[in-house]
Amino acid sequence: MIELKRISKWVNVGGKPNFILKDINLEIREGEFVSIMGPSGSGKSSLLNVIGMLDDASEGEYYFLSQAVHTLKEKQRSQLYKQYIGFVFQAYHLIDELTVYENIETPLIYQNIKSSERQAMVADILDRFQIVGKKGLFPTQLSGGQQQLVGIARALIGKPKLLLADEPTGNLNSKQGEEIMELFKQLNNEGVTIIQVTHSEKNAAYGSRIINLLDGRIDNNI
Amino acid sequence: MIANFFTIARRNLLSHKAFSFINIFGLAIGIAASLLIFQYARYELSYDRFQPDSGRIYRLQLDRYNNGKLSTQWAAGAAGIGPVVKEALPEVESFARLREAGTTVASYKDREFRETRMYFANDAFLSMFAYKALAGSSAGALKDVNAVVITTSTARKFFGTEDPIGKTISMNKSVDYKITAVVPDPPPNTHLKFDFLLSWPTLVKRAGPDLETQMNWDAFLTYILVRPGTDPALLEKKINSTVQAKFGAEMRAEHSNMIFHLQALPDIHLYSHYMFEAEVNGDGKAVYFLLAIAVFIIVIAWINYINLATARSINRAKEVGIRKVLGSIRRQLIGQFLFESLLINGLAVILAFLLILSCLPLFNYITGKELHFSLLKDPVSWLILAMLFITGTFLSGLYPAFVLSSFKPIAVLKGKLSKTGHGAFLRQSLVIIQFAASLILMVGTFSVYQQLHFMQRQDLGVQINQTLVLKGPGVLDSTYTNKLNAFKTEMLRLPGVRQLSASTEVPGGKVGWNAGGIHLVGSDPTQSNQYRIIGIDNNFLDAFGLRLLKGRNFYTGLVDSQAVLFNEAAIKKIGFNHPEDALNKKIEFWGKQYTIVGVVSNHHQESLKQDYDAHIFRYFSDANAYYSLKLTADNNNWPDLITSVRQQWKTFFPGNPFEYFFLDEHFAEQYKADRQFGQTFGLFAGLAIFVSCLGLLGLAAFVTSQRTKEIGIRKIVGANLPNILLLLTKDFIRPVLISFLIATPVTYYLLQKWLENYTFRISPTPWMFVLPALLILMIALLTISTQTLKAASANPAKSLRSE
Repeated sequence: MIELKRISKWVNVGGKPNFILKDINLEIREGEFVSIMGPSGSGKSSLLNVIGMLDDASEGEYYFLSQAVHTLKEKQRSQLYKQYIGFVFQAYHLIDELTVYENIETPLIYQNIKSSERQAMVADILDRFQIVGKKGLFPTQLSGGQQQLVGIARALIGKPKLLLADEPTGNLNSKQGEEIMELFKQLNNEGVTIIQVTHSEKNAAYGSRIINLLDGRIDNNI
Repeated sequence: MIANFFTIARRNLLSHKAFSFINIFGLAIGIAASLLIFQYARYELSYDRFQPDSGRIYRLQLDRYNNGKLSTQWAAGAAGIGPVVKEALPEVESFARLREAGTTVASYKDREFRETRMYFANDAFLSMFAYKALAGSSAGALKDVNAVVITTSTARKFFGTEDPIGKTISMNKSVDYKITAVVPDPPPNTHLKFDFLLSWPTLVKRAGPDLETQMNWDAFLTYILVRPGTDPALLEKKINSTVQAKFGAEMRAEHSNMIFHLQALPDIHLYSHYMFEAEVNGDGKAVYFLLAIAVFIIVIAWINYINLATARSINRAKEVGIRKVLGSIRRQLIGQFLFESLLINGLAVILAFLLILSCLPLFNYITGKELHFSLLKDPVSWLILAMLFITGTFLSGLYPAFVLSSFKPIAVLKGKLSKTGHGAFLRQSLVIIQFAASLILMVGTFSVYQQLHFMQRQDLGVQINQTLVLKGPGVLDSTYTNKLNAFKTEMLRLPGVRQLSASTEVPGGKVGWNAGGIHLVGSDPTQSNQYRIIGIDNNFLDAFGLRLLKGRNFYTGLVDSQAVLFNEAAIKKIGFNHPEDALNKKIEFWGKQYTIVGVVSNHHQESLKQDYDAHIFRYFSDANAYYSLKLTADNNNWPDLITSVRQQWKTFFPGNPFEYFFLDEHFAEQYKADRQFGQTFGLFAGLAIFVSCLGLLGLAAFVTSQRTKEIGIRKIVGANLPNILLLLTKDFIRPVLISFLIATPVTYYLLQKWLENYTFRISPTPWMFVLPALLILMIALLTISTQTLKAASANPAKSLRSE
């Protein structure tokens, strides 16, 4: 599903390149549940962003569902991830001015799905996540765990093949964190490919594979 | 999609009420002010365009030259020119000529009124100007001697419900006119307003048949209707060559010349300011000044929107980032922010309507115009509104839309976007523009008032205080001179009346009698000049405090009819440098000789816009235009005095309406237009500054909230309240100061231009710039301090905890 070949990313500091990612070769197959781990500044989030097409690599090739992403224009790329990728953030990133219902509905609007169909889909996922009673509330009226639940519901509404999560439990207490991880596990069992960035060994254990990063490189010694 | 946009926009508006208020209210003020000014300007520009043939009617304006120099410019020239051009040039279909009849007491049975809007007009006038008769017939209505055409409201005033056609109305109780037609009232937007049109042949009968062809007496408005497709520039040339062919030799012998200009009918109201205008015309410059102000205000309001939108972009950035991650493409985001701009502009338009409806009476009061809110009926107003709305939506919406939609989602979501730096340069530049515009308007307002104050404080060279002026009787008989003397004696008996003088003029307006051909006896008649003649009695100098520089006043108790007094300007004009040189010289004045017996000091007959005029005073024992009662300084009992004067008036001059005014007020009337201009200017300058400050308030509120954390840290490391205030204020004051530097030379230039309108004027001083600048600076500081004080005095522990 995902194939990275010699991916590097750097920024110039004082004329010299400062590598964030260096020479990453990575293949992820459909149905995997991958955890990316590593100390702060090791490049975990950058790698996730490159995979999620939110950021460009400086060098190297990236194939997503055998399409050469590094050659695509922004619009085509946007088309691609709109269709196949869902994002979950540590800070949830819900739109404060929209209700739970409207937040979940937003991706569907951008996919030009008809209003009646959208209603059915949102109702379905609200039901599945057992947050029907909260649909009229605004993000600020919810607890962190509930907000993240909405965030995940929003990521899944478009039925993505790939779910990218950047420390999804980072802002949550352990009980809420466990619930989210259980949910991920369940989703993975239903066939959704998941890549998560995490600090927590416990969370990483939910996955099927762990990739360790150190100073921008994949560290195979662990 | 739109529904989603709407939801977001509505919630944003509601959750940031202060910003929404500033945006919508500011835009509404801008739109309301612009619409009002546009409507006012359109009204001013609409003069006489209602005439179906307005594109084909021209007025013949006459410039007279003496010895190759331009000497006088007449709106109303010689009567003979009409027939000359009609006969010589086939392009001229017809001509209309009019002559002001002067103030006249009109009466029908027991109804008598003093009438001023009265003209002698020829028969062609009614058809050229398309005043269709409502009663009687307009064709031939002015053909016969002693015929009169009246307007609807005049008919109602004199005849009530009676049918006026065929009835007679008496003028000064001496001549009866038969009413031949009733025409609609001339609308307010015509320069030629009348209540009565007397038939031209009546005037010819009175003045003699030469009147029809004479080319030396200027007082006659001449209009021509030209064939469709006539080139006015070419026609003007032809008219002048016709005049040269006919009168050239005669004029050359006199070293004089006449040049005629064609004035398009719709241009007269705003651009014609010559002698004997039908009314005081408007000022084209003022109209365009106001239009510029309208543009200023709306641009300031748009700038507010751009500034606040980009400043707040940081708050919206997160939303943009999320939307992008969720799959929104840039076009959709631009659409969304434009939609918000559309919504805000739409609300502003609605509010602007409410503002106009509630402020129209105030606007009319200040500008002295009578505008009605006819927006809904007028397609052009709709067009202007639509233009303001669409331009506003795109101009103010596009920039924020592009800035916001350009954010990189990952940078935004990771909080890597610099906080206040974004668009700071643009914001500062826009603030500079706003305050530069505000300063220009403020200095303008100050200067207008300074000039007015200056003019009203100047020594006029003539005493106009404590003066009650009666409008003299129009209905006279052969015993008038005796009656006048008896009336004077009675008046001087009243307590508080110091002096009474009868004259043909009082200060406060242009002298109506302009006489040419005056020269020293024995000098070359071709070197003669024009002077303004005032007929006075021997009390005039004393009553009005005119100083006699040399020679004597008119004799008391004698008819001193061969003597004249010159003022200093007239002495100079006739060729003497010292008053004593002119004494006892004889002048030739329309075939008679007069002796200069005295020289008096110059006085301001008109407003200080005009220079001192050359006046010749002649002795009139029977002047009947004005009686000036000079009152003793301690007299405070006006009502009683006026009652006594009225009683005497009724016994002495029955059949004449009793009308009076106070001379100082009459003189100040000349400044009415200037005062109204000043007020209008001040109003919109105030609005511009208000809207600018609204924007500044919004920016200050936003930036201080962004810097809460910084302020907290600075306080913890030891900054005190003044330190913080200075820090926050500095950034706002800098653009305001820069704007002053930019605005000053521009304002100085504009001010010089404007002051050129006045012969007696103030000279720009640094204070005229410094004071308004300080005022604006203070207002700006106050505005900012409402925000900075709050932020600076906040408890740092609180602000840091929330981070």
